Amino acid sequence: MWESFWFEFINFYFIPGLVLGCIYALGAIGITLTFGILRFANFAHGEIMMTSSYLTWEFVLVASSFGLILHPIIGAIPASICSIFLALIVDRFFYKPFRNSPTIMIVIASFGMMLIIRSLVQVIWGPNQITFVKGIAKPNQFIKDFTSNFDMMILIPNKHISILLGTIIIMLVFNYLLSSTKIGKGMRAVSDNPNLAEVSGINVENIVKATWVVGGFCAAAAGVFLALDTQFIESTMGFRMLLPMFAAAILGGIGRPFGAVAGGLIIGLAEELSAYPWLGNGPVISPGYKSGVAFSIMVLMLIFRPSGLFRGKVF
Amino acid sequence: MEIFLGYFLYAMSLLTVGGIYALLALGLNVQWGFAGLFNAGVAGFAAIGAYTYALLTTAESQFHFGGLELPLVVGDILAMIFAGIVATIIGLICIRLRADYLAIATIGIAEIIKLILKNETNITNGPRGINKIPRTWEHFTEERFYTNFPMNLFLNQKGWEAFFASIPKWWWQPFFAITIILIVIITYFFLEKLRVSPWGRMMTAIRENEKAAAAAGKNVTKRRIEAFILGAVIMGLAGAFLGQHLRLIEPTQTFDPSKMTFLVWVMLIAGGSGNNKGAILGAFLIWFVWSSSELVTNGVIEILATMFDSIDISILKNRAGFIRMLFIGLLLQLILQRYPKGILPEKRPAISGKY
Amino acid sequence: MIKKILISGLAVFGISSVAYSDVKIGNPMARTGPIPELVKPMSAAVDLAVEHVNDQGGLFSDGQKYIAVKVDSACDPVAAVDAVTKLVNVEVVTGIVGPVCSGATIAQAESVSIPAGVVTLSVSASSPAISEMENGTDLVFRTAASDAYQGIALAELAMSKGIKDIAVSYANDDYNAAIAAVFSKAFTSMGGKITGNEAHEPNKASYRSEVNTLGSGSNNLALFAYYGSSGITIMRNALETGAFENFIGADGMLAQEVIDQLGAENLGNVTFTTSASDSSTDAFKSWKKHADAANVPASDPFVPNSYDAAFLMALAIEKAGSADRSKISAALREVANGPGEKILPGEWKKAKEIIASGGSIDYVGAAGPQDFDENGDVAGLFSKNTVVDGKWKPVVIK
Repeated sequence: MWESFWFEFINFYFIPGLVLGCIYALGAIGITLTFGILRFANFAHGEIMMTSSYLTWEFVLVASSFGLILHPIIGAIPASICSIFLALIVDRFFYKPFRNSPTIMIVIASFGMMLIIRSLVQVIWGPNQITFVKGIAKPNQFIKDFTSNFDMMILIPNKHISILLGTIIIMLVFNYLLSSTKIGKGMRAVSDNPNLAEVSGINVENIVKATWVVGGFCAAAAGVFLALDTQFIESTMGFRMLLPMFAAAILGGIGRPFGAVAGGLIIGLAEELSAYPWLGNGPVISPGYKSGVAFSIMVLMLIFRPSGLFRGKVF
Repeated sequence: MEIFLGYFLYAMSLLTVGGIYALLALGLNVQWGFAGLFNAGVAGFAAIGAYTYALLTTAESQFHFGGLELPLVVGDILAMIFAGIVATIIGLICIRLRADYLAIATIGIAEIIKLILKNETNITNGPRGINKIPRTWEHFTEERFYTNFPMNLFLNQKGWEAFFASIPKWWWQPFFAITIILIVIITYFFLEKLRVSPWGRMMTAIRENEKAAAAAGKNVTKRRIEAFILGAVIMGLAGAFLGQHLRLIEPTQTFDPSKMTFLVWVMLIAGGSGNNKGAILGAFLIWFVWSSSELVTNGVIEILATMFDSIDISILKNRAGFIRMLFIGLLLQLILQRYPKGILPEKRPAISGKY
Repeated sequence: MIKKILISGLAVFGISSVAYSDVKIGNPMARTGPIPELVKPMSAAVDLAVEHVNDQGGLFSDGQKYIAVKVDSACDPVAAVDAVTKLVNVEVVTGIVGPVCSGATIAQAESVSIPAGVVTLSVSASSPAISEMENGTDLVFRTAASDAYQGIALAELAMSKGIKDIAVSYANDDYNAAIAAVFSKAFTSMGGKITGNEAHEPNKASYRSEVNTLGSGSNNLALFAYYGSSGITIMRNALETGAFENFIGADGMLAQEVIDQLGAENLGNVTFTTSASDSSTDAFKSWKKHADAANVPASDPFVPNSYDAAFLMALAIEKAGSADRSKISAALREVANGPGEKILPGEWKKAKEIIASGGSIDYVGAAGPQDFDENGDVAGLFSKNTVVDGKWKPVVIK
C-alpha cells in the first residue's frame, strides 16, 4: 500500500535528496582524489565546477547563433574538456611550485585561485544570474502513469532522471578506470604511498596530471548537473557547494572515491530530510540551520572517526 | 587644509582596521606560527568576541538581549574570556586532528557559530545584527556615559556638552587608533617574551618534531590546547574592537570567512608566520593594499576613460569590484611564490643567551 | 611590486583631489556581494540624475560639475565602513547617496558619516531600525519606505485577495527577516492564520523539503527572499512539486529575471509588492520619459528611489549654496518637503533658476512625494505586481 506518507516522503524528500547527493558526490570525487594524491584540500574545486557550467552555457549560446539547438549535456562535452585544461593549467602554474612546501602554502594558493577564477568569471560574464534552462520541469508523465498503475506514483522530472543516470554512468566508467587500467592502479598506488609508488617506477607527475583530468571532469559534470537542477548559473554556485562536498569527502574517507559518493548521498539526503516533519508539523530542524547539518556531520565525523566510513587515510 | 585633515583621518582609520587585523594575525600566529595548528575558523572567534562585547555593553534595546551596560573595559575582558572558553571546548575535542582536518573542522565550527548567531534571534537580533555598539573614547560623548559615574564627578551634563562642542568632532579618532596600536604593541611584547620563554621553545619543539618532544616528557596535547586558547583570546579581543569600530555587527557579511579568515591568513603568510613582527607588518601592509586598491582601481579606470574617449568603460566601472578581487588574488600568488617564508621570515630564539 | 602599487596609489589620490571646481558626492553601493544584479540599474539611475544636473547647467552660478564617486559597499558593514571612510576623508564628499543594504547603511552611518557630520541619503535601506538610529543629529535620510509600511501593505493585499491562511518562508538576512516579521504580525492582527513561519538559509541548491513541509499547512506562500540568492529556487521547487498555488512576496523577488527563468505561464498566481510610485502622477511620467530615453528600467525596485536620492542631494547642495557639509541636512529638508514650486524629475534647470532667484522649491520624486518626516523617513506607496504578457505589471495600491 502506497500510503500518503510514502508518497510524500519518496517524492518530496528522498528523490530531491538523492539528486542533491549525486551532485555532491561528483564534486566530492575530485576533492577526495586531490586530497588523497596531492594531499591538500583544494578550495578552488567549486570554482572549476562553476566555470564549467558557464562554459557549457556559452557553448550552447554560440551553437544557437549558428542555428544549432544543443541540449546542455552536449554542450558540456567541450566545456568539460576546457575545465580539464583549466585544472591542469592551474596545477602547472599555481600548485606545482609548492609540491615540496608545507601543505598550508598550497592550501592558501588554492584559496587564492578560488578568488582569481571567480573574479575572472565575474569580469567576463558579469555577476548576474544567467538562465541556464528556462521554465519549470514537470514530472515525467510516462513514469508517473506507469508507477501509478502499481499504486505507487513517482514524480520525477526529466532533469532529475538525466542527473541520476549521468551520475551512474560516470561512476561505472570511473570504477572501470580505477580498478582495471594502469593509470587507475597508479593513482591508487600513489594515494596509498607516494614514495613507494615512485621507487616502484610509477611516474608520479603523470599520475598527478591524471588526477586533475579525472577531478576536472567530475567537477565539470557536477557543475553542469547542478546548473541543470537549479536551471540558472551564477558565480558563487561552486563556492556554495564546497563545504558540503568537503563534508562528503571526509564522511566517505579521504582518498576513497566511492566513499565520497556514499558521503555525498548521505549529506544530500540528510540536508533534505532535516526539514521533514518527523515530530509534529514543523520541520524537525529549522531550515535556517540547514547548512549546519552538513557541517555538524562533518565535524562529528572528524572527531569520532576521522578515517571516514570507508577507512580513508588520516594524515 | 581640510584635505590634509581628511588624509589624516583616513590614515587613522587605516591604522585602526590595520591594528585590528594585526591582533587577529598575532592570534593566528600563536596558533599556527608557534604551535602549527591550522585554524581556519578565525571569523568564528572574532564573532564570539564581537557579540560578547556588544551584548554586554550596549544600552537596552527592544531588538536583542542586553541592557547590562557594563563598562567597556569589562566588555573587552569578557570578550576575551568567552572566546577563550569556547576555544577550550573546541580545543579539547579537536586538537588531536591534524593540519587540513583541523582546518576543515574549524571552518565548519565557525560556520555553525555564525548559524547560531543568525538563528537565535531573541538574543542576537538574528541577521539584522546589533547596532549602537559603544566605541572606546567616542562613547564619552554619549549621554548615558557623561551623565553617569564616573564622568559626572568632573562636570555636569551641561558642562560636558559644552566641552564636547568646543573640541573638534573627530577628537576621538586618533585616541581610538592609538589605543588599538598600543594593544597591538603590548600583545607583541607579551608574545615575544612568550616565544623565547621555555613555553615558547617547547612549542617550537613540538611543532618541529612532536614525537621527540613527547619522548622528552612534554605534554604535547596540553601545550597545543594552551596555544589554541591563547590565540583565540587575542582573536576575541580583536573581535571586540572590530565591533566597536563598525558599531554594527551582523553574522553574515561582517564575519564573512573570505574577509575575516582568509585575509588574516594571507596577512600572516605574507608577513612571515612564526614571526610576530611579520604578522603585524603583514596585517598593516595587506590592509593598506586592500583598502587603497579601491581608490587605485577607480583612479585607473578614470585615467583609461580620459585616455580612450571612444571606448565604453561602463562595463569596467560596474565590474571594478571584481577586478580588484582578481588583483588581490594575483598579488597573493605572487607573494606566495616569491616570498614563501614571508617578508620577515621566522627567527628561532637563540639556543642560549641572556633570556 | 608593493612599493610600486603604493606609489601609483598615491598618484591616483593626488589626481582625484586636484579637481576643486567639482562637487563630489559619495555613492557607495553593493556592487559586489549578494545582490549585484539589483544594484546595477540603481547605479544607472544615479548616473542619470548626475547627467541631468550636469547637462542642465551644473551646480551653482559657475556651473560646477556634479560628480558621484562610486565605491563598493558590498552589502557588508566592514566594506561599507571602509569605503565611506575613504569617501568622507579622501574624496571629501559633500554627502552620501547610498548604501543599499540596511546593515551597511547603519554601520557606515554610526561609524563614519554621523561622527563626521555628513548626510547619508540611503536609496533602499528599509530596516525599521534606521528610523530610531540617531541621537540628536539629523543626518540620516532615506528615499525608500521602511519595511514597517510594506509588510502591512502586503498583509492588506493578502486579506483583500481572500487569503485566510498562509505559510511564510523568509531568507535569513537583514532585509527579508525584518519584512517577514512585520508581515506576520500584521497578518495575524488582521485575523489571518500563519500556518508555518520558517527562515531558510540563502544560497542552497535545493529547498524542496522546506517547501513541502510548509506546503502541508497551506496553499498560500508568502515568500521573502532575494530572487538571486534563494527566491527563484524556492519558487521553482514549489511550482515543480505543486506545494503551493498562490504566492505573494515583496521587493526582493520583483525582477524580470524571475519571469525569464520560470516562464510567464507558470506565474499566474503570483503577486509581489514593491515600494513604488504612482505611475499616474506627472512626476512619474516625467521620470519614465527620461528613464526610457536613457535605457534605465523605470519601475525596477528602488531604481526611481535611487534617482530621487541623487537628484535631491544635488538640489540640497544647490540650495545650501556651497559644498559645505554642515548645511546639507537643513537644505535637504527644505527642498524635499517644501512648501514651494513643485519640481519634477529631470527639471534641474527650472529648480536652479528658482533657487537662484531666492524662491523655494518642493521636489516631487519619481518614487513618491519624498517628504521626510522627523526621522528622515518617507511615506511609502506600494504597488502590487502581477505577470501580464511576460512582464511585471504594477498596479498602485491606494
